[in-house]
Amino acid sequence: MKMAYYPGCVAQESGKELDMAVRWVARAIGLELVEFPAFTCCGSAFVDEANQTLNVALNARNLALAEGAGLDLLTICSTCQGMLSLANRRLEEPTMKARIDGVLSPLGIQYRGTTKVRHLLDVLVTDVGAERLRGMVRRPLSGLKVGAFYGCHLLRPQAEVGSESAEEPHAFEDLLSALGASPVFYRGRVMCCGFPIQFVKPETASRIGGRQIVDARNHGAEAMATPCPLCHISLDGFQNQAAKAVGERLDMPVFHLPQLVGLALGATPEELGLDRHLVSVEPALAKVAGSAAPP
Amino acid sequence: MPESTISVPLEIYRYDPKVDSAPRYERITLDLPPHTPVLTALLKVRQDRDPSLTLRYSCRSAICGSCAMQINSKSRLACETPVGPEVERHGRIVIEPMRNQPVLRDLIVDQQPFWTQYERIQPHLIPDPAHPMPEGRENPMTPEQVERFKETPRCIACGACYSACPAVEADPTFPGPMALAKLYRFVVDPRDGRTQDRLVSIQTGGLWLCLRCHLCTEACPKDVRPSERIRDLKEMAIDAQGATEHGSKHAVGFLRNIRETGTLNEFKLVRQTYSPLEMVGQVGQGIRMWRKKPEMMKKPKKVAGWEDVEKIYRALEDSPEDRQ
Repeated sequence: MKMAYYPGCVAQESGKELDMAVRWVARAIGLELVEFPAFTCCGSAFVDEANQTLNVALNARNLALAEGAGLDLLTICSTCQGMLSLANRRLEEPTMKARIDGVLSPLGIQYRGTTKVRHLLDVLVTDVGAERLRGMVRRPLSGLKVGAFYGCHLLRPQAEVGSESAEEPHAFEDLLSALGASPVFYRGRVMCCGFPIQFVKPETASRIGGRQIVDARNHGAEAMATPCPLCHISLDGFQNQAAKAVGERLDMPVFHLPQLVGLALGATPEELGLDRHLVSVEPALAKVAGSAAPP
Repeated sequence: MPESTISVPLEIYRYDPKVDSAPRYERITLDLPPHTPVLTALLKVRQDRDPSLTLRYSCRSAICGSCAMQINSKSRLACETPVGPEVERHGRIVIEPMRNQPVLRDLIVDQQPFWTQYERIQPHLIPDPAHPMPEGRENPMTPEQVERFKETPRCIACGACYSACPAVEADPTFPGPMALAKLYRFVVDPRDGRTQDRLVSIQTGGLWLCLRCHLCTEACPKDVRPSERIRDLKEMAIDAQGATEHGSKHAVGFLRNIRETGTLNEFKLVRQTYSPLEMVGQVGQGIRMWRKKPEMMKKPKKVAGWEDVEKIYRALEDSPEDRQ
């Protein structure tokens, strides 16, 4: 299997550990990542707020690059997934399509609308499948209670991004079960992490993120995992501020989704960049240490 | 032939702040046909088991907006939510009052916060004194003009969006999805004379606290899609006044940031949002992060074919008169 790899900005910068984990997992499942040095930022929903048409045009260019190579696009970020899917959807509107074509045609770029945008979570659950993954597990995450945290743009607006469900998804929990972990269901798993307003009103943002961590913890989660590096910044990077904002002591390990997959499939913590988190993941690692280690 | 029924385990929030020290959940199981609305189940409980159960409802047809409540943690109209799929998904139906508003009794909340925010945006047409409404005749709009706000008048003010909104939950200064969707409706109404004032005052009035999590859009029983109208308001506010707040500075900063190379320069974005003085307040957190993630200071290289990116910007960003 071969896909156009869209790492997004954060995984190439502060969230480098996500890129490391994706590459490890891709090798393990036999997924060839084709790189496109011409891909631009998806706009992260911020550009969309400043200039919607420009954001669609930039993403139409990204989609056209993958289309030209005859590949579907692999995203590893809920926000990239949402913004690129949204561009696909908006390009179905004739007025928008004509406007974008008018800008891209003189550059020799043509997008016919055939690129499918797919998040790694979907590829793992749908293409690889829970059964096959279960068979590949070498270090079962037995007994580790994990709260999945989806990230808004992977799910909503459902009509635009074509998600499995806006409010009651289960793909992530299915994946966690296949890895041997025990998924924890809590209200916050489909809520917002607060990141979009981290620079608008930090305390409000932290209160929102903190509430989701407390919710996961109160439902028994010993770790959280997210398919979105922006949620990771909020839940891990700003967890100290979240703790202050909700007035609680928090020490919740937060994994990127492919880090947990890699861990279960036998990668070492170093290969997954687990030492790059702000909140230590050691308690969660200790929990699965008893499982069969890789040779 | 008798209609087939299923067992419907209900867990109903009960609380009278005047009498009870804490809320409790009343567990009652009814046998009902799967298409029965949750509202009908609740009325049956009230009629057959407990006349003290308190709830708001009126039309039973998803028109009056009275029976919004939380059904298995989602803000919904009870009259149009059938019991069958809820039991199938959750094995039970937990019924609670709407969030983000104080409980008066059982499933009834005090909606004053919701209405206060609504009144704050002046939800009525304010004609331009220079162009008064024509005396004695209608002030017509073209179909294209009406098309721009075709969704917002569908709102029945049920409050489901306000209940579902995590920004409202965390910050009472946020106007909430419904008030902002209504504001949009008047901003794009060609008969309204206060467009500019409305956009300027909402920039500082909480517009940028919207998380664009789209929970309101999913909760809305009338498909008003508030989060999308809030997005439109943000773009219009920047067009009307430029970036004056942290939120708009962040959005415009982001737009300029990726123009330089095609890829985000993370550190520079913080500088584009905050003043130097505000940056000082971020130093501690910045150093904590930098020690683990030094790449956050990395200056990205230009993407291949960057010239095309620049041309897209020239076509769409540098010619604002082109914009919608």
